Amino acid sequence: MSVYRFKAIRAAQAPEHDVFTFAATPEQIWGFAEIERVGREDNGNLRGFQRHQIASHIKEIRDYLRRDDALLPNALIVAFIGGVKVKDRGDGVVDVEIKAGDVKPGFVVDGQQRLSALSGVTKPGFQVFVSALVCKDYNELRQQFVLVNNTRPLPKTLIYELLPTVEGLPERFTARKFAARIVDRLNFTRGSSLRGEIRQHTNPKGVLSDTAMQKLVMNSASDGAIREFIKDGDFENRAYDFVNAFFGAVESVFGSEWIGMSPKTSRLRHGAGIVAMGFVMEFLYSSEGATTRPEFERNLELLKKYTAWTSGQWRLAPDDERPWNGIQNTPSDIDLLTNYLVRSMKRALRQPRQVANS
Amino acid sequence: MKFLYSDTQDYVDPEYDFISDRNAPGRRRYWDDVYAHELMTPAPYDGLLVSMSAVRQAAGVANSKVRYSTAEEQRMLRDGVRKFLRYGGPKFKDAMVLGDCGAFAYADSKTPAYPPQEVVDFYLDAGFSHGISPDHIIFDCLTDNPPARDVAPGVVERFDITLSNAEEFLRLTEAEGYPFEPLGAVQGWSPKSMADAAVRLEKMGYRYLAIGGLVPLKVDVIKHVLHALRNAIKPETKIHLLGFAKADSIHQFTNFGITSFDSTSPLIRAFKDAKANYYMESPEGGLDYYAAIRIPQAIENPRLMQGIKRGIFSAEDLQRREEKALVALRNFDGGNGKMKAALEAVMDYQRFLTLGEGHPIEKYEKDLSKMRALVERTLDDAPWKRCRCSVCSKAGVEVIIFRSSNRNKRRGFHNLGVYHKHVQRTLEKKR
Repeated sequence: MSVYRFKAIRAAQAPEHDVFTFAATPEQIWGFAEIERVGREDNGNLRGFQRHQIASHIKEIRDYLRRDDALLPNALIVAFIGGVKVKDRGDGVVDVEIKAGDVKPGFVVDGQQRLSALSGVTKPGFQVFVSALVCKDYNELRQQFVLVNNTRPLPKTLIYELLPTVEGLPERFTARKFAARIVDRLNFTRGSSLRGEIRQHTNPKGVLSDTAMQKLVMNSASDGAIREFIKDGDFENRAYDFVNAFFGAVESVFGSEWIGMSPKTSRLRHGAGIVAMGFVMEFLYSSEGATTRPEFERNLELLKKYTAWTSGQWRLAPDDERPWNGIQNTPSDIDLLTNYLVRSMKRALRQPRQVANS
Repeated sequence: MKFLYSDTQDYVDPEYDFISDRNAPGRRRYWDDVYAHELMTPAPYDGLLVSMSAVRQAAGVANSKVRYSTAEEQRMLRDGVRKFLRYGGPKFKDAMVLGDCGAFAYADSKTPAYPPQEVVDFYLDAGFSHGISPDHIIFDCLTDNPPARDVAPGVVERFDITLSNAEEFLRLTEAEGYPFEPLGAVQGWSPKSMADAAVRLEKMGYRYLAIGGLVPLKVDVIKHVLHALRNAIKPETKIHLLGFAKADSIHQFTNFGITSFDSTSPLIRAFKDAKANYYMESPEGGLDYYAAIRIPQAIENPRLMQGIKRGIFSAEDLQRREEKALVALRNFDGGNGKMKAALEAVMDYQRFLTLGEGHPIEKYEKDLSKMRALVERTLDDAPWKRCRCSVCSKAGVEVIIFRSSNRNKRRGFHNLGVYHKHVQRTLEKKR
């Protein structure tokens, strides 16, 4: 039998329940609480409530917690069934005494991944807040679990819009963060060819998909022109200028298929069209050295006759012909359209040269 | 005889941290990773094969078969396959980079996924040194050589499609001025029909043939096919064996005038085979195989995760046993622990893998004792301590642990190296 004592702060809430918060080390928490995962008894009855651990999530938290400046201000929530004594000290301060034997009285209701991550990090003396509530029985505890965890995650579009301004995020956000910054600038910079065109949380009137635009930038940063700019100091400005020049050219060359159109009325404004045109941009950069609006314009003029953005048929392959709107925002359709556009662009560039050479 | 490895984006993080099981900080996939020919000296193969179906989406190619992102595919076409695979420079300038269509990926479709023109463009854009005509796989191989009228109509159709594609493919390659060396694909339902196809390809003008559909065939049947082929075609006509799964019987195939073959099996077996996971040259000349030691990640392994989800295993408990097994094995390797202790710790964790299968208890005991014998043999011989290859000298005992892609692929690279040497030795002996 171990006894844990903490000084805690009590909040006045429901008169029948004790709710209080205190600071404890992960080792102490493991001493008096368990993570009871959901499962079945032999007779089929449901037992426990927590879901399984998610390795990638734990790794991400652990990476963060290893840093010297890591903070974890949000509290773990532990529900107790018995085993807890609370003594009022006045002014909302209470003394808490927890007794734990072979059977632990506490159950982690929220924060199990954080607790698992913490157990893999050596940080002597690192404490976290524990918000505790005392339940009268297991059913009430399970009810609290559902209530606490029944929250809505933030909308992705809002997270992406916040990304450029947030430091110290997990690895997986960094590529997206750079892309989000470029897309932000394209959307909100005076004189940008895409100003106000991209739908974002704070620009609900925009028409172009922010994730498609980000995808275009991410593709370029991972495998294309922007990757080469990264060797330069001023790569962010170059990346912005480059994409801006390309869409300026798209607007002037495709005119009525771009201006005032929506993803429904023009495939050029559709996620598939935007991402696929990104590869035309890459091709023109690598084979023609195009970086300015006039350079892109000159080449895109040649592509016009192969496209069917708002009407007609796409002749993607000898046995794959589809109406203009028969292209969907799926990886395979994007790949097909990309190949078609890049091959057509290439063919179009070859023809005038052959004429010139003959 | 050249040994080609069929690439499926196999690279590892050279700075992977085995102790805390994580990639180097800031590591970027592909860019900071290395291919087997970058990690190992000498390179563990004589060339690479890239299948179009692993790179490009098409009707009939299941999404799961396509391993390249569209961004990677487009970069490969812009920069060329050698630069993409980082397989250029003086060191590799004469190494083959062979393109094929990956007929397995669209075997269920009525026609090949890519028409000849698209295939020629693809090989041309990516700058392959060699390219195979677009074929349509035939799985049957009937050694009693029935005539065409006695086989299923779909089969003859595939035979005809393969030949007419080859004709068109050669015409287009010629029109482009032979930017790569064309190989005519051979498909047939019997040794005789394959020999017929080969003769017709020769007549079209092919000097190099690629024999397909061999993967499911037994060694004897493959020999049968090669006899029929060699008797029908000119001695100077070159032969490539596509997806040659019988790689360990290579010594039986030295008399057929085979110029090249490709196989993935030494790498794949590192993590797909039940027990032959680690290759070693045998003192008697052949190859010896060892079982890798399975210590999967407790909260990532699907079988263990299922047990955790059903509530029959505890995640915390499994993680403790996993850690113990790793520590005991590393201690044994470093000379600070007994082999017996390592064996017990590994088997203690192994129990849960076997239990997770959900078989009856007698089967469970039997599986466990089989596994114990395999693990004991591996620990007893400790083959990784003897191996001097670039992988084993750096990764040490980690190479024998069956756990996550960075260890498993390194073991696969090691196998490729051992196998490559084995092929070279076999050929020298024959000379």
